[in-house]
Amino acid sequence: MNELRITGAAVRFGDKIVLDNFSLTLPLEGITALSAPSGSGKTTLMRVIAGLQSGESGTVDGPAPRDIAVLFQEDRLLPWRTVEEHITDVLPSRRRQEAEHWLALAELTGEEKSFPASLSGGMCRRLALARTLALGGALYLLDEPFNGVDPPRIGRILSRIRELGVPVLLASHDREVLDLADRVIVLEGPPLRVVP
Amino acid sequence: MTRSITSPDNQKTPGRSMGRDILRAVIPPAFWLGVWQLAAMWVGRKAIAAAWAAGDSAALVKAVIEGKALLLPGPLLVLRTLAELAVTPLLWQSAALSLARIFSGFLGGAVLGGLLAAACAAFRPARLLLSPAVGVIRATPVASFIILLLLWVTTGLVPAVCAGLMVLPVVWGNMYKGIIQTDPLLLEGARTWRFGRWKTLRLVYLPSVLPYFASGCSTGLGLAWKAGVAAEVLCVPKLAIGSQVYYSKLYLETPSLFAWTITVLALSFLLDRIFGALFRRMERGRGA
Repeated sequence: MNELRITGAAVRFGDKIVLDNFSLTLPLEGITALSAPSGSGKTTLMRVIAGLQSGESGTVDGPAPRDIAVLFQEDRLLPWRTVEEHITDVLPSRRRQEAEHWLALAELTGEEKSFPASLSGGMCRRLALARTLALGGALYLLDEPFNGVDPPRIGRILSRIRELGVPVLLASHDREVLDLADRVIVLEGPPLRVVP
Repeated sequence: MTRSITSPDNQKTPGRSMGRDILRAVIPPAFWLGVWQLAAMWVGRKAIAAAWAAGDSAALVKAVIEGKALLLPGPLLVLRTLAELAVTPLLWQSAALSLARIFSGFLGGAVLGGLLAAACAAFRPARLLLSPAVGVIRATPVASFIILLLLWVTTGLVPAVCAGLMVLPVVWGNMYKGIIQTDPLLLEGARTWRFGRWKTLRLVYLPSVLPYFASGCSTGLGLAWKAGVAAEVLCVPKLAIGSQVYYSKLYLETPSLFAWTITVLALSFLLDRIFGALFRRMERGRGA
């Protein structure tokens, strides 16, 4: 499977139509960025791809939801788990020692024993990102992965993500991120549509 | 303008802060002991006046300390009675057995309340079925339960079962609220992080519910002592604080009644502190 195909997706919330017969085909390689204004429906699209959002019609051909690692728009950290535990919790027991590697990738070395309450917003975002990357899978689906992260780090972390060799589909407004992506799909909505 | 950003707590010197803590711990009980002493002297004012008029200083001291012991003994007399009881095995045996009965009832009620809350959260029909029953338990007077239980179970079990029945609805209500208010975003996250049921329970549900459980236990503990001792008063087991409270009432030994009540308060306070420390220790793991 070397592409992700969304065909005829339709999702509405009450009277609001977010996806209306939406179709899109993306190659499953490198870093693909979705750029769209806030509230256009790109998070809904990502949730549909991740199998977290059902709709009225449409199909998704691509990796199964269990093979997709999702980074939500919110950090969704567990206040009672340390930075290191956030990573080891998602790793199989035989791979626990990998935690250090994922924390280094997100530039969180030295914060292993910290709790989320003592981290800055950008550090929390990087921790959420490291947890998603540690999960692994056939596709990384990252919703606003660098919110609050300082620009010099974005380039470094994104190049490390690229080295992992796993296709990435990310949503971002950030110019820095869009510039580093292999391809950028510009969307607008709602209802969401691809801007030619 | 130069403005200090140091919080008032950090500006205190350790010695002064410790002194203030000691004063905070000592002044309120001292104030209420004073109020109690004055009230006892007011109730026993006739004896005090008579001793004063007779110029009998020994009788005056006795009248001030004891007050009118039948109605309201003074704190010193109660303390003396407590000290006299403390050197007998009766106090320690009664306290130990009451503690065992009431604490086992409390634990049973808390565990059952927690399990029922989990069942209700997992299967909505269970909540529909159990809600009225728990409502009945919550609203039924303790005395009715005690008398009914006297018919159904052995005397020694009545205080434990009664304490458990008081704790169950409180823990059930708190735990149910905690479970259904667990952050849905974290639960959705747990699915995408490939947590199984056990891992979701251990890493998401239990830490989320812990503050609700702690609050239920704290309230339930007080209720367990009240209901448990009331049950002991009515069913009079051989060695029990409640039985001694009953005998104090029977023989009009008010200082003894006060002394046994203080014993209950001390045990309840001690358990509350132990539980508080335990839950604080568990909460510390939350990075709070």
